[in-house]
Amino acid sequence: MDAVAVRRYLAAYRVCLRIAVRQATTYRASFLLSSVITLVGNLAFPLVTVLIYGSGAGFPGWTADEVLLIQSVFTLSAGLSGLVLGGVVFVTMDRVREGTLEIVLLKPVRPLPFIVLTTLQPESAGVALGGAVLLGWAASRSVHAVSVTGVLSFVGLFLAGLCVMAGMSLVMAATSFRWVGNSRLPEIADSTRTFGRYPLAIFPRAVQSVVTFVVPVGMVGFFPASALLGRSVPGMWPAAATCVAFLGFGVWLYHHQIRHYQGVGG
Amino acid sequence: MGSAVEVENLSKTYVTYKRKGLFRREPTTVTAVDDVSLTIEAGEICGVLGPNGAGKSTTIKMLCGALIPTSGTVRVLGYEPFRERRRYVREIGAVFGQKSQLVWDIPPVDSFLMNKAIYGVPDVQYRETLDELVSLLDVADKIEVPTRVLSLGERMKCEFIMAMLHRPQVVFLDEPTIGLDTIAKAGIREFVRGMQQRGTTFLLTTHDLEDVERLAEHVVIIGGGTKVFDGSLQDLKRSLGETKIVELTLAHPASDADLEGLSVVGRRSDLELTIEVDMALMGPAELFATLSRSLEITDISIRELPMERVITEIYTSSRR
Amino acid sequence: MTALPLVRQWEVMRAVSVVTYKEWAAYRTHSLVSVFVGPVYFVVQYFIWTAVYGGAGTLHGLELTQMIRYFGAATLIGYLTMDFADWNLSMLVRTGRYLTFALRPLHHRFFALSQKVGHRALGFLFEFLPCLLIFVLLFRVDMRPASAGWLLVTVALAFLMGFYVRYCLGLASFWLVDARGLQGVVAILSGLFSGTLIPLVFFPHWLQVLQFFLPFQYMLYVPAMVFTGSYSLGSTHLSIPQVVGCQAAAVVVMFLLSEVLYRAATRRFTDSGS
Repeated sequence: MDAVAVRRYLAAYRVCLRIAVRQATTYRASFLLSSVITLVGNLAFPLVTVLIYGSGAGFPGWTADEVLLIQSVFTLSAGLSGLVLGGVVFVTMDRVREGTLEIVLLKPVRPLPFIVLTTLQPESAGVALGGAVLLGWAASRSVHAVSVTGVLSFVGLFLAGLCVMAGMSLVMAATSFRWVGNSRLPEIADSTRTFGRYPLAIFPRAVQSVVTFVVPVGMVGFFPASALLGRSVPGMWPAAATCVAFLGFGVWLYHHQIRHYQGVGG
Repeated sequence: MGSAVEVENLSKTYVTYKRKGLFRREPTTVTAVDDVSLTIEAGEICGVLGPNGAGKSTTIKMLCGALIPTSGTVRVLGYEPFRERRRYVREIGAVFGQKSQLVWDIPPVDSFLMNKAIYGVPDVQYRETLDELVSLLDVADKIEVPTRVLSLGERMKCEFIMAMLHRPQVVFLDEPTIGLDTIAKAGIREFVRGMQQRGTTFLLTTHDLEDVERLAEHVVIIGGGTKVFDGSLQDLKRSLGETKIVELTLAHPASDADLEGLSVVGRRSDLELTIEVDMALMGPAELFATLSRSLEITDISIRELPMERVITEIYTSSRR
Repeated sequence: MTALPLVRQWEVMRAVSVVTYKEWAAYRTHSLVSVFVGPVYFVVQYFIWTAVYGGAGTLHGLELTQMIRYFGAATLIGYLTMDFADWNLSMLVRTGRYLTFALRPLHHRFFALSQKVGHRALGFLFEFLPCLLIFVLLFRVDMRPASAGWLLVTVALAFLMGFYVRYCLGLASFWLVDARGLQGVVAILSGLFSGTLIPLVFFPHWLQVLQFFLPFQYMLYVPAMVFTGSYSLGSTHLSIPQVVGCQAAAVVVMFLLSEVLYRAATRRFTDSGS
């Protein structure tokens, strides 16, 4: 892509953003309601953590605040990735099912960035905000010594986690080319991500390896939170590299499916 | 034969709310149907014509028992539709052009079986009726494939089967040919005619003048909620005169003198004119003679009066 | 409402459920998503609770094995009792297709219930059975109910409870332009208070007591606890017949509420035709 193209995408992005914001403000009440519903839905897991610790039990070696920190990082990550890529699965799915993907292919743009631009999901802003607030609260109670390396590691690993989230959305969207009209596809990604919401040590070794190096969902919550807490986990940084590779795989798979779609005409 | 449908002084008013500020709402009363009376004889096809929003659908819904009249009485086959809804709807059938009864993902024949159970149609009667309807509509090879792959016309034919499996005596059709191509429209019309000859009474609403011309001997026109015409098709034609719309494309712009004796009703550009001609006063030969005397015409098309014009015409003459 | 003779009702239910089964059978591979998702969530729950229990014997009166059995049962019962009655009815009202039901000689709620029977028959084959086999053969979970007879009754009641709740929600569309907000709120509440996430005994005492007066526990928590063989909530221990009796009473109340709402909705529909 040259500079002109980049400027064009940025301009398009601004327009799409403005449309999304305008839609949200036009249907203010329903927007607020759906933001709150999405947020509350995302807070169910932290609630379960609170209830477990409230009963006097807990995960061995982890305080309630520390587990909540993992889950707040997860919520923030889900909110931010939902904001940008939340709609990509459904938009792709609908376009493939209705056979309107051609309309995207007719436009003088690359299909993937274009679809991403048009699938902004402003409702997820509530989730991101809720996650950020919870993160601040849980961090203030569980992070006792803030170090520069800790924060920098957190940021790096958090970004790697976002790559995983984006990669999973793209893998699901790519799958929807083959499994046409299956509106339940995102559940597969949602359930897989659940492994990132808890201290990794509660899972058996084999599961730990899979969620670190194969489908690195551990990076979505557990690893960045551990870094912030100053707990070093072996394999943290190689796992971050896996995350970037995972995103690359998602992009490749999506493009591959689009080319296939062009080949057989849906 | 007696009358199948008797409607007297039927009215329907709605209260809608206009939002004023955040909480205050202002009620406004809308009269959808205003004092309509009509009688449909058994075995007749009655066409109710009118533009969108004229009150046709509201009327038909009241006749079906899906809507309670604000005032007036409706009797269909001796029933008061709303009072005895469950018993009444067994005796009637209805096809709403834009509201499908068929289940999208499965073959129509499976949807038929569902209505067979709902209406409690005995096996033998079901098979006879289905065979008859299928051959009349010529869809034998269509009822076994999923509804979603059918064309709009084929789907509409299956909607008719779905609505008539229980052999209703009166069938209500709301815009049955909407969105269909000419061939599909013809198929549907032929079927309705055929069923009428077997004794079924039809009431159809449409804004397609051709539906009425091809089917109905009894025409009712509703405009702005009131009945503005009720009579035979011949009466309608007579009262309308033979006015046609003629669209002309000219080779050169025409002067006012050139257009002497023609009633110009529209001018899209200097070269595109719309004129109105009463064919009863000026026959085709005379029209062409008049036109070719002063104008050089590159294209010509002759149309019926659009529905809206028919209504205003009738409406204003009914007020006179 | 004139009641149809029982034989006719049975015929209608059979025809409608068969049609619904065929309709959804086209998407049966979609329900296979459950065969992945259900076991994955179950595995996560298994490890969470195994870690949480550590050496502890019981939490809120539940042993670890009972807890695992609870989540297994909750997952499987969900496949037998879920439906989209609210979404379906909203769609019919919004598109105006509800009219085609007003013109057929049957109660739409009975039609919708028959649809659910067909839809869940599919769920039984393509979600319930495969997941049950995975739980029993792969995860080696003891999925034998404490009492098969009571389980059957309580699951049937949960099936009806979920249906009436969602049907009432669907009826709200006759009044609300957009009922999705309401449906979302109820979905969240039922997620929390039906016991999908965690057994209700973990909630604060007052919230547990409140559950006796809300419909949600009767949709999942009650049948899942009946499966494990003991039930308690809000420091009240009830025997299995007692709690199933409560559930039956709740179903009757919900049924009556749905009838009241249905009549009001019908009046509104026949008044405005919208």
